[in-house]
Amino acid sequence: MVESRELELEPDKLEIALEPEILLGVSEISKTFGTLRANDKVSFTLRSGEVHALLGENGAGKSTLMKILYGIQPPDSGTITFKSSKVKITSPAVARSLGLGMVFQDLRLIPALTVWENVALHAKVGGQILQRTKLIQMIKSASERYGLSVDPLAKVGDLSIGEWQRVELLKVLIAGAIVLILDEPTSVLAPQEVTSLFEIIERLKADGVGIVIITHKMREVRAIADRVSVLRGGKQILCDLPAGEITNEDLVKAMVGEYVKPITNSERGTNKENDTALVASQLTLRAHGEGTGLKGVDLDVKAGEILGIAGIAGNGQRELADLLAGARLADKGSIEIKGQNLSSSGPKHYRRAGILNVVADPIREFVVPGLTVAEHAALWLAAESKKMRFDIGSATKWLHQVAQRIGLPLAPSSKRLDQLSGGNIQRVILTLAFADPAKGLVVSYPTRGLDVRTAEMTHSLLVESRRAGTAIVLISEDIDELLSLSDRIAVISHGRFSGLLDAAGADRLEIGRLMVEEAS
Amino acid sequence: MSIVSPPSVGGDLSPVESSIQDAKSKFGLRKIMKTYPMGVPLLGAYIGSFGLFGAIALLRGANPFGVFGAMLQSSVLNVGSIEQVILRAVPIALAALAVSVPARAGLVNVGGEGQLIMGAVAAAGVGIVMGSSYPGPLVWIAMAIAGALGGGLWAGISAFLRTKMGANEAVTTLLMNFVANDVMLYLIYQPWRDKFSSGQPQSQPLPHSSQLPSLFGSQLNVGVVVALLLAVLTWYLVRKSHWGFALRVVGGNQEAARRAGLPIARLMISSMVVGGALAGLGGMLNFAGLEYQLVPGITATFGYVAFLASWLGRHDPIKVVLASLVFSAIALSGNGIQLSYGLDGSIVDVLLALIVMAPLFLSKTRKALTK
Repeated sequence: MVESRELELEPDKLEIALEPEILLGVSEISKTFGTLRANDKVSFTLRSGEVHALLGENGAGKSTLMKILYGIQPPDSGTITFKSSKVKITSPAVARSLGLGMVFQDLRLIPALTVWENVALHAKVGGQILQRTKLIQMIKSASERYGLSVDPLAKVGDLSIGEWQRVELLKVLIAGAIVLILDEPTSVLAPQEVTSLFEIIERLKADGVGIVIITHKMREVRAIADRVSVLRGGKQILCDLPAGEITNEDLVKAMVGEYVKPITNSERGTNKENDTALVASQLTLRAHGEGTGLKGVDLDVKAGEILGIAGIAGNGQRELADLLAGARLADKGSIEIKGQNLSSSGPKHYRRAGILNVVADPIREFVVPGLTVAEHAALWLAAESKKMRFDIGSATKWLHQVAQRIGLPLAPSSKRLDQLSGGNIQRVILTLAFADPAKGLVVSYPTRGLDVRTAEMTHSLLVESRRAGTAIVLISEDIDELLSLSDRIAVISHGRFSGLLDAAGADRLEIGRLMVEEAS
Repeated sequence: MSIVSPPSVGGDLSPVESSIQDAKSKFGLRKIMKTYPMGVPLLGAYIGSFGLFGAIALLRGANPFGVFGAMLQSSVLNVGSIEQVILRAVPIALAALAVSVPARAGLVNVGGEGQLIMGAVAAAGVGIVMGSSYPGPLVWIAMAIAGALGGGLWAGISAFLRTKMGANEAVTTLLMNFVANDVMLYLIYQPWRDKFSSGQPQSQPLPHSSQLPSLFGSQLNVGVVVALLLAVLTWYLVRKSHWGFALRVVGGNQEAARRAGLPIARLMISSMVVGGALAGLGGMLNFAGLEYQLVPGITATFGYVAFLASWLGRHDPIKVVLASLVFSAIALSGNGIQLSYGLDGSIVDVLLALIVMAPLFLSKTRKALTK
């Protein structure tokens, strides 16, 4: 069902269609891992001064394609042309020398070095000798040209995430990139920063740079994309389609295979009980390593309510989730669930008191290397178990029953969890967390790594828990998710709540403003 | 299934590594690794180990085939030798299990030697105090309890230092070996010295009634049966009990264990104490079944051989016991070489080391090659 289209030369598109040079041509790229066809004859073309959105769900094959383009993996078959000559990109160095620049989702800068030093590492201006003055001059002029305001002498570790991204962009631009590949560039940004990123992209376009943006957000496609290509399960669904020629609904359909109804929040505020279930007051935690710590956070969540926590990563939401789940002890402050004081007790007591947790970082906080899916279920039950014999049989049976009731598709229980994909791991975590009715549920980034349909199921599970009277704290970076699920939204910034709003009728920009609010 | 495996070769290969890789592929190692199951290259590596060992013997002026013959003769080719191999395997296997159990929880116990010694010392103390005035079985049980406590507490000290103060247990257990040896030397030079020995530092001998009885008139004693039962018990504990499962979780991901509400410090300490108790029992069985006296070098560095045996058996109790038997045979085969070729018996240590390194080397290479 490849719906590849030739450009139709309508009068008003004539200019775009004829003039820009084709920078990058990808033709029938295939790549197989074992039995998995990650890319099945994928093609697209990128023209100078154009933004090409590459859409697809997790696991659609976008990352594989990008890795092939950047020379990290060789394709099994297919050709790549750069400025109409056939090229073989055997390593990232080759990609860079051609003029291909990649900005990864996890920004790869060295925090201890300054901006210019980070640029120097990448750009190799003037051979082996560091040319400080020249580089700083180059950074300044590129900054002005593209509106990437950054101080070349600042230490990268002191910059905001938005600024990190600008440094990444400067890095690849100074290295001479004329094709930019941006992997989910907005996933770490506040709404304002997204707007300024789009402005930068507009300037780059005007300069003739071709940009591939990998995303799954409709909003972004509408804002900046000239053309779209869609992958699903490694196959090409749409190829080089002008963005104006397709509706949002059809795009989602192309990505998912069928149209998924977005969650509505009709039940919001239907909670009648109104008794406060989960109360935390004056939670304080010193900053360790990365995050900001917590500086006196108060919250109360009613039974049958979802309190959303919005914020840019690293502003204290990890610390808050850890404290509420009992995974860390607060330096100061108290936590109560239904009147039971939990301060200064460990994770086991929180579990017994009925507070369950969906962890923020599954690999670090949940997955035990070498253990199977079933053994992780046994581990989940271990907090309650007092038996001498390790009974994997009954844990497996329990998991099967639970999985059937919850309905999230799970990998076979005898598979090693550490060898499964992020989405598979997340489904196991969610199944366990929703297995038993909870008094309190602390959920971090629940739909990360999930395909659209499972994400939708997860949202329904949260709504169901709310209906059953669970007090839910939902931490997410996805403002749409928060807006559609939460009853109230607290915005966290620099380890404090900078605002608390009713989710009904909350304004995205207002939330965004609170997200970047400086601590007073 | 390896619980404690060396850190995997992650990320891109460095230029040096990839050039090694290229060189290897010329010899077809990559092809072998990719086409055959692990057993085939492993067998090749073992044959290579013996070949290398033979070459070393040749360098020392001995006929390699004669050396191998003498080794077989003094280890497995007659009943007497086999019995000796099994007897020596008792302390090795128990000290090896003392490495395996904590390894499940991610702890490195290099202290098998010291724990063997302290088990023997505690058993000897009980044997001396109780003398011949109690019935044998009572003394055996008392010595076994003392041995287990001696080894367990000795290992427990390192576990405590690790969990409370963060002291690296590999270092402290190693250092405690020297302390244990000095404690034993002090005892046999001073308070427990055998007055009837002609100047030899050794403890008073264990009265005949307290010595472990032999099995069916062979050189073997009941200690062998006890050791086997202990190995089965250990297998059950690490593979089938909730405690063993909890140790795996702690060893695999401590943060996940903590969040699941497992008592990490308690699990770490208990794994070391149980391990130490096994080694202590090994020391006790060796003392009460074979040596009957504390003498300098009573453990014959079996504690270190045991460390290697545990790694070779990948900390799996059954494989660890088999590896201990193999190592016991190799260690004893040194006698044959010494007698018939005049080579120093310790040359077999080279073979021991090669045999341990072969699978480690191969699994690393396999990871690097088959990525």
